[in-house]
Amino acid sequence: MLASPRTRQTPRTSSQIMPETPPTLLTIGLAQIDCRLGDVEHNAERHLEWIEKARAAGVDLLVFPELSLTGYRLLHLTPRVAMPANSPILRRLAEAARPMRVVLGFVEEGERGVLHNSVVLLSDGAPSYIHRKLYLPTYGIFQEERFFGAGRRLELADLPWGKMGVLICEDLWHPELARRLAVAGTRLIVVPSASPGRIGAGVLPESHESWETLTRSTALLDTCWVAYCGRVGWEEGSFYPGGSHVIRPGGELVERAPLLEEHLLVAEIDLRDSDRLRWRLPLLDDERFDIQGPTQGPTEGPAR
Amino acid sequence: MIRRDQVKARLTLNAPLAEAVLTSFIRDAVDTSGLKGVVVGLSGGIDSSLAAALAARALGPERVHGFLLPYRTSAPESERDARAVAEHLGMPHRKIDISPMVDAYFAMESDAGPDRRGNKMARERMTILFDQAKKLGALVLGTSNKTEILLGYSTIFGDNASSLNPLGDLYKGQIWQLSRHLGLPVQVIEKAPSADLWPGQTDESELGVDYETADDVLYLLFDMGLRPEEVTARGYDERIVQRIIALEQQFRFKRRLMLIARLSGSAVNLDQEIPRD
Repeated sequence: MLASPRTRQTPRTSSQIMPETPPTLLTIGLAQIDCRLGDVEHNAERHLEWIEKARAAGVDLLVFPELSLTGYRLLHLTPRVAMPANSPILRRLAEAARPMRVVLGFVEEGERGVLHNSVVLLSDGAPSYIHRKLYLPTYGIFQEERFFGAGRRLELADLPWGKMGVLICEDLWHPELARRLAVAGTRLIVVPSASPGRIGAGVLPESHESWETLTRSTALLDTCWVAYCGRVGWEEGSFYPGGSHVIRPGGELVERAPLLEEHLLVAEIDLRDSDRLRWRLPLLDDERFDIQGPTQGPTEGPAR
Repeated sequence: MIRRDQVKARLTLNAPLAEAVLTSFIRDAVDTSGLKGVVVGLSGGIDSSLAAALAARALGPERVHGFLLPYRTSAPESERDARAVAEHLGMPHRKIDISPMVDAYFAMESDAGPDRRGNKMARERMTILFDQAKKLGALVLGTSNKTEILLGYSTIFGDNASSLNPLGDLYKGQIWQLSRHLGLPVQVIEKAPSADLWPGQTDESELGVDYETADDVLYLLFDMGLRPEEVTARGYDERIVQRIIALEQQFRFKRRLMLIARLSGSAVNLDQEIPRD
């Protein structure tokens, strides 16, 4: 019997056959909290409480809603609660979170006196990534462009499990952003949000139906995980319905937090699920960037 | 594109969800204020009954203080129905007759007509409610609905004055819907809406339009952004549509608390929008 050459060698571990891949399994926590408008100290204390809650639940990556440190509808209070990314409060939260990764929202004092509606990722005891909201709704009830400057960059954040994209609330309503993040390699998009609720005849608030349509479409078209963290509570007569949720690559709802109450939603997600779907549904690989035609905005009328 | 027969469905609410949202609103406002509860003027009509019922569910009936504030010409059924609602909800309630205060003033102003007298009564009730709120450590619960707010059918600084209003974004038809869901006494739901400021007064005769039509037209104009001719093209009477538009324009001033002349670059509510929460 001929022995194959391989049997005479030391058996190889899988890491020798395949390049070392980082673990892709993580526990995500969505902190569906209420915030006290304009009271950073109070909100920071509450973040510390929820960080401890999440630690007890074994969370690796904890996501808070948009502007979680300040409240949303700040109007002319906006400058009073602004802080740079290296502010003591954020460093304190980052230190307390170790080894957990935390994503939270705050008013960022940027360069040239511009304030941003930003989200920061805290890892290893320090702010490690910032996303400045790119689309600032200024219509209907929204007045963000009066008080904030829009972000100019879209970047991926590095996590031990892979790349993460962050889109703040309105950013998700412009689907080319999620597409760009997915094409650039993210298998997880988190969406911190502070979206006022509206209700009608439906089981869920009308506003929430729109959100799940968007998050599910994103998870389907961009073949990635989507984690939406909304907030609850009231500001100036307007309510935030909650309903934070996690969507699997392909669009299936994994779990949804209850409406109208604070809740820590914990879900285990495997970023490899995104790859597994992409093998079957290679939308991103098929994406074409060579198609000619209208790409530079309106072809008629004044340029904006 | 929306057809006339689709409007009703658009104005239908998920009543249990509306109840959950509005009770959370009342709880949040009372908790944030640090006060103990709410006071509400009970007229025996559907709006104040619904507001009281929501507050009772939000806070527990013992924290909702009802006040029956009749004038000597008020309809006896108003007091009877207000009492029935308070007892149905199990909330503390008290009657304060406003006739002496109102009459004392009009003894000096004997030429006043029903409008002035009606407004005075509404404002007399307001001062009593705010005083009782101070005494009891409570907020004044508003009871104006969206239809009457848009039509300006209220006494400014009278019945439209409150600390919080759970009903202000509900059209009258939605008030009826939510009241049925909460099981309010049937006589309250079924009687003709009236401010009861003089005998025989009803909202619909005074406004010159029934609530069902008013809700539809307001929804098409304000929620859907249709133009008047697009509303009449859907079969609504042009005179009614014009009447609704005229009322809405005439009484816009009632929706703004203060009109401040701006001199600086930091006028309150104009340059400086500081949230109240």
